Amino acid sequence: MPVPERGETFLIGPSSAKYRHYLLMPSLFQDYAPESFFDEVFSAPGQVRPHYEAVVQAVDRMTPEEFASKQLGADAAFLKQGVTFTVYGDDQGTERIFPFDLMPRIIPSAEWAHIEAGLIQRITALNLFLHDVYHAQHIINDGTIDRESVETASHFRQAFRGVKVPHNIYVHICGTDLVRDDQGVYHVLEDNGRCPSGASYLLENRQAMKRALPNLLHSLPVRPVDTYGSLLRETLAHLAPPGVIDPVIVVLTPGVFNSAYFEHAYLARQMGVPIVEGRDLIMRGDCVFMRTTKGLVQVHVIYRRIDDDFLDPLVFREDSLLGVPGLVESYRKGCVALANSIGTGVADDKAVYAYVPKMIKYYLDQDPILPNVHTFLGTEEAERSHIVANLDKLVVKAVNESGGYGMLMGPTSTEAERDEFKRRILAHPRNYIAQPVLQLSRHPVFMEDHFEGRHIDLRPYILSGEQTKVLPGGLTRVALRKGSLVVNSSQGGGSKDTWVLWDEEDPSATALPNV
Amino acid sequence: MLSRVADCIYWMARYVERAENLTRLLLANRQLILDAGAAGGNEDAFWRPLLISTGDEEGYFKLHGEVTGDQVSEYLAESRSNPNSILNCIRAARENARMIRDQLSDEIWQCLNDIHLYLGSPRSSRQRQNDPNAFYEQILTASYLFQGIARSTVCRGENWMFLQIGTYLERADKTSRLVDACSGLPLTMAPSPGAAPLRWASLLHSCSAYSDFREISTKPDPVRILDFLFLSEEFPRSVRFCLNEVDRALIQLRPLQSRGATSDPLRESGKLRSELDFTTVEEIIQEGVHQFIDRLQTRLNSLGLSIFQTFILYADLLPIDAPVAATAIFPGAWHDGSGEDERQQQQQQQQ
Repeated sequence: MPVPERGETFLIGPSSAKYRHYLLMPSLFQDYAPESFFDEVFSAPGQVRPHYEAVVQAVDRMTPEEFASKQLGADAAFLKQGVTFTVYGDDQGTERIFPFDLMPRIIPSAEWAHIEAGLIQRITALNLFLHDVYHAQHIINDGTIDRESVETASHFRQAFRGVKVPHNIYVHICGTDLVRDDQGVYHVLEDNGRCPSGASYLLENRQAMKRALPNLLHSLPVRPVDTYGSLLRETLAHLAPPGVIDPVIVVLTPGVFNSAYFEHAYLARQMGVPIVEGRDLIMRGDCVFMRTTKGLVQVHVIYRRIDDDFLDPLVFREDSLLGVPGLVESYRKGCVALANSIGTGVADDKAVYAYVPKMIKYYLDQDPILPNVHTFLGTEEAERSHIVANLDKLVVKAVNESGGYGMLMGPTSTEAERDEFKRRILAHPRNYIAQPVLQLSRHPVFMEDHFEGRHIDLRPYILSGEQTKVLPGGLTRVALRKGSLVVNSSQGGGSKDTWVLWDEEDPSATALPNV
Repeated sequence: MLSRVADCIYWMARYVERAENLTRLLLANRQLILDAGAAGGNEDAFWRPLLISTGDEEGYFKLHGEVTGDQVSEYLAESRSNPNSILNCIRAARENARMIRDQLSDEIWQCLNDIHLYLGSPRSSRQRQNDPNAFYEQILTASYLFQGIARSTVCRGENWMFLQIGTYLERADKTSRLVDACSGLPLTMAPSPGAAPLRWASLLHSCSAYSDFREISTKPDPVRILDFLFLSEEFPRSVRFCLNEVDRALIQLRPLQSRGATSDPLRESGKLRSELDFTTVEEIIQEGVHQFIDRLQTRLNSLGLSIFQTFILYADLLPIDAPVAATAIFPGAWHDGSGEDERQQQQQQQQ
């Protein structure tokens, strides 16, 4: 056995007063200032929150050089393994790694239980909502949500009304973005119910931690995340047409030029299923087949990572080179299942988002466990005036953009940008919403030789199959630019591994986890 | 196995083999020039044959006015505008591997990714200029590593068969092209140390055949060299050996062949193999070495196309009257960027 390096082994003792004193001035955190934000690690300067003590102690035993070399090692491993995303508009086919910060984000078990309950409540309501708006539309007819908000959502698919989907589940894979405000309260920022991405980075981040800081990971009761592949497979298998015992599942990718191709291939591999492109699939009768060297093989479930618009040139965009002609008809007839279903984008539309608390009340008769961020709608006259008058204080978002595009960050915007948004909002009020600028919580992030606070969010993944399950972990995204509140990878964001802890009081946690 | 996956594996193997052969050719040529003494100063005489045997003469002269050693090595090794440069071959091999990443062992992927990252780095360009041997050896090592990892990690199912077919078809093609560059030389033994024996020796080097050939003949007798490189049953780079391997893989894939296929690769490979089994080097010389190679290459191409139609295109799925030319461009494996398709792929929102 190799001799442990300095910083790799340590003991976790009870947090004695002596130790606390020592923690007051850890060297790597010497000048670390939580400032006025909610800091995940420090409740006050030098005061470490209890669930972070072990990590802070361990990190502090390393010199800046040691920590930096571990960080470099992790980056090099990502590049070597091709855990990258493609940068568009670069003919050299440049691939970048998604910047990764070694210091983990930790969520205690009680906090996680709250998040988990809130997410399950929310996705349950969203699936009921989707079923409703594509069938009887009670929620609209009862006046809880106005028809216009729903039917003008750009991802609402009128053509898909009345179609029965397996088990009435629409969103099988959801990646909900959570943020904490300056009091540490978790809010839902948005629901990503079409093709949420990032799960592969979550899994690779854990692998990176296992390589870089194995003893640290081992010393805490961290819940494993590597069950994601089998959970995802179970979720998809649940959708198979009735009577199919061993369904053929595939991942449908746009192709190797898509920025998330790595993820598509990675998830296919984790599940042990083929990754296909549209051109690999062919219709025979009402069924979908894939072309193999042995002939045609029927496909039962498709985890598709292409947009609705490109799925089927016979139904949606006829210039699509990525889809399969006839696929939608086959789905309608129940010969093949799609995950996520068609038209789920109406539920993650940023204007419809404002109604989710009402949906939870309407369908479940419950109060939302996780609150929304207060949202001003461009369609409501009073709220629109408020938006236009307060552009310098608000975040304005285009309702059908994602990835941090089409956004105005009021406080840091220029006069010209605000004028431009004002013009656009007044011209197309349905396309915009605004929210107060939330002072997202911060987390120490390693910067060359010390830690600095950066804003973070959290994207957990919720799988709805026979049961609804939340993977105990998530992708913690970091806005790496100082002061920035935008965490998207396309806008200079990075990520961290997220450690959800077992409840140590819970006797089942000390036994081998049921994985 | 998905047809497209088979296509990717086949091309991945071909591109790795292509890069390896090109590397050895460049390395052997550098040796040849050093051995040639004063005559080595005539750059055109020593570097033009390389462009001829790789078929890159036309592309080269679009960029350069004259043949110089530096420019030819740069063009063949590192040029981004030469689709067949070592750099682009490795890139294509690696892109094909990326498309089927889920089918490959991590080791195979990392091996290709490592050499790809090396070739794209400023370090590799510097090394090629300052220490060319180290540069070329790095690529050779990567190729050997690739073959070795494949041998020890790939299941002997379809993956392996398509890997074998790609590797050996490419190798047969390249060996014949390398020989072709010498086909104009006199076949009688010239008194040493004339340039001709050096060229024949260099041919052996570029086919990695030098020491094996020495076991059967101490003198670089051109006729025996031709015999060795075309017809040896045992030497793993001879054309005959390569076609035997292709044939063997095709026999194992046989149960997959669909009845309605418009072409039968096994029939073609069998014919080609038996011709090489029963041909003598004298007959080849009588036909003319160059003519023989020409005919051989046409048949190798046709074999490649027939494999494509049978396993990849799955020809019996297409309307019988579909013109082959139109279907042959069915995009399967990765070769180079492709306009509208690429744009739409990028457009897909990943939230």
